[in-house]
Amino acid sequence: MKAHEFVLALFLVSAIAIAGLFYYFFLSSRQAADGGGVSNPTKKRFFFFTALAVVMIILLLVTIPKSPYFLFTGENPSKVVYVAAKQYSFTLSSSAIDPQNPVSTEAIELPAGQPVEFRVTSLDVNHGFGIYNERAELVTQTQAMPGYVNRLRWEFTEPGTYNILCLEFCGAAHSFMRTTFTVK
Amino acid sequence: MTTLSLKKITSAWIITILALFVLAIAFGITMRFNQGANINLDPAKFYSLLTTHGVTMIGIWAVAGMVAVNYLLARYVPVSTSLNVFAFILTVVGVVMLWVTTFIGHFHAAWTFLYPLPFYVAWEKWATPVFLLGLGVLGIGWFVWAVGMMLQILKKYSLRHTFAWQHLTTKHDVAVETPPFILITTVSLIGIIVCLLAAVVLLVLFFAEYFSSGSFVNDPLLMKNLTYFFGHTLANESLYLGLATLYELMPEVSGRPKFKTTWYVALGWNCTMVFVLTAFFHHLYMDFVQPVGFQMIGQLASYFASLPAAAVTAFSVMVLVFKNPIKWSLTNILFFLGVVGWLIGGVGALIDSTVSNNIFLHNTLWVPAHFHTYNAMGNVLFSLAFFNWAANEFVGNQNETKSYSLKIVLLLIGGFGFVLMFYFAGAYSVPRRYSVYPQEFTSAALLASAGAWFACIYLVVILWMFFDIVKKCFKVFSPSY
Ligand code: HEM
Ligand SMILES: [Cu+2]
Repeated sequence: MKAHEFVLALFLVSAIAIAGLFYYFFLSSRQAADGGGVSNPTKKRFFFFTALAVVMIILLLVTIPKSPYFLFTGENPSKVVYVAAKQYSFTLSSSAIDPQNPVSTEAIELPAGQPVEFRVTSLDVNHGFGIYNERAELVTQTQAMPGYVNRLRWEFTEPGTYNILCLEFCGAAHSFMRTTFTVK
Repeated sequence: MTTLSLKKITSAWIITILALFVLAIAFGITMRFNQGANINLDPAKFYSLLTTHGVTMIGIWAVAGMVAVNYLLARYVPVSTSLNVFAFILTVVGVVMLWVTTFIGHFHAAWTFLYPLPFYVAWEKWATPVFLLGLGVLGIGWFVWAVGMMLQILKKYSLRHTFAWQHLTTKHDVAVETPPFILITTVSLIGIIVCLLAAVVLLVLFFAEYFSSGSFVNDPLLMKNLTYFFGHTLANESLYLGLATLYELMPEVSGRPKFKTTWYVALGWNCTMVFVLTAFFHHLYMDFVQPVGFQMIGQLASYFASLPAAAVTAFSVMVLVFKNPIKWSLTNILFFLGVVGWLIGGVGALIDSTVSNNIFLHNTLWVPAHFHTYNAMGNVLFSLAFFNWAANEFVGNQNETKSYSLKIVLLLIGGFGFVLMFYFAGAYSVPRRYSVYPQEFTSAALLASAGAWFACIYLVVILWMFFDIVKKCFKVFSPSY
């Protein structure tokens, strides 16, 4: 199962479990008489709390190492792409971009199976840099912020045409701000 | 003591908040139909609606929590009606200013007005300063009011007692018991005061640049941190104010003994107070220039902020209800369902606050999915529970005879149907804040239309409750009351 589907399934199962549990609590109160209630609530609370804490710590230990900040850090990117965002278009270039005159030099082609690096900035407001594959799934992203350069490293496994969409609200034409590149 | 003037100002708040709520939902439905391609708005118009919807919703539900807490606080300490009225006037003035900028001035930089977007003027020139001033007016009203309430609490309870620290000692004889309501109200008010201070700094920095004509330029990363510190904290503290109300009223209307402050309640809420102030870092996960330490704190705090709150509150509500005879009424059903919505939204939030998921969920519709769950199906229900209770209180009758099951069923279908369409779209990478969807997102428009129709069902229930509640609220203004 892909990560997108996994989180959706995880969410739905948890939501249904919570709803079911509370519905059960609700029903249990309908025929209850005085003197009922939870037996030994302090002990149960302790177990509930401990179980929850343990689950969270495991989740933290499993997920934190997968954070983007720790990915491909020891490797040398085989290609660097410079990105400058500006209302409402992206400039992509394989050499550094002149902020006074941002021009895309050529169509960008990236190798599959090798780490590449995007150096992303903005020349006006905050923008987003979201990379979508051919099935319109968000693969990875970073923000394009004026005055800063975010370095996004990624290794594409599938060749094809990728779309870049703006993922930070930047004004009226935000949803039309996009470009493409290819992976071979 | 609950005076007539307190009832009057509380009524005025309830009527105003519900009226604004109905309008803001209507704007939300309009946006969703536009995303569903059922209607076709000019993008600037869409984003003006988005700005109005966001700022209005965040505003009314933050202030609704304060209204409820202020009303109930009168049971413990004297509260100032004039501060309450002052906050009301400033809120109305602030909201009018904001709506003027969006509807007449076409301002559309979203309620987060992320620096430097407000300076890239694509609307009337005056709209930017008036929008920022409008926020300032709201902020001043709430700040003064929150500080006023805090000072009243501190007149009666020492600092140690307001935070219930005496419950954390091993000695079992606690001379003064801090009511849970006082503890949670304190924790929330402190959070509100802190985040409003951050808002003041943010606004000052904006105006400094605005008036410097180019000689002073802000740092975008600092401004982003401040923006989300303010926005995230405000939204969360609103929820905690709702929980304070729940702790005070839910056992009472259920005919059960009051909640008590025990060591774990005290510990849980003290931890929440600290964690919630650093959880906002999760809004900047995709800014890789942010120090990695902050990113890690973001995930840790997001996880652990939910632990005490969930373990303490959800468990307490379970203990209250489970196999106990409860006098169910619309009021406590709303509290109960609010807890369910809050928890379900919390799961969505937790998934998104995991950095390795955030990389494909950040700024997709997953974000509005989870925050609408714990707002529209959580915090709003806490406030509606209070409104319903207060309206019954005003007419002196808590024993409603009318059946409420149809309302509840429709509310659940409409509310959860609406947010579910966001979750599906979010999981399938559809971006948030898009006025229309690019064609590669083949089902996004369909999900949007479906969401809009579900929201219409939700709106019908809200209108229904609106009339019931407002009718009772108007009674306190009649001369014969
Ligand atoms: C059923 C009622 C509601 C409807 C139909 C609705 C609809 C919407 C829609 C369509 C969006 C834009 C989503 C996007 O594409 O990014 C939105 C955003 C938002 N809504 Fe709601 N909403 C409702 C209730 C609420 C409530 C109760 C709150 C309470 C806090 C709320 C707060 C917000 C906020 C803060 C935003 C973000 C605005 C932004 O992105 O700048 N909404 N809503
Ligand atoms: Cu953009």
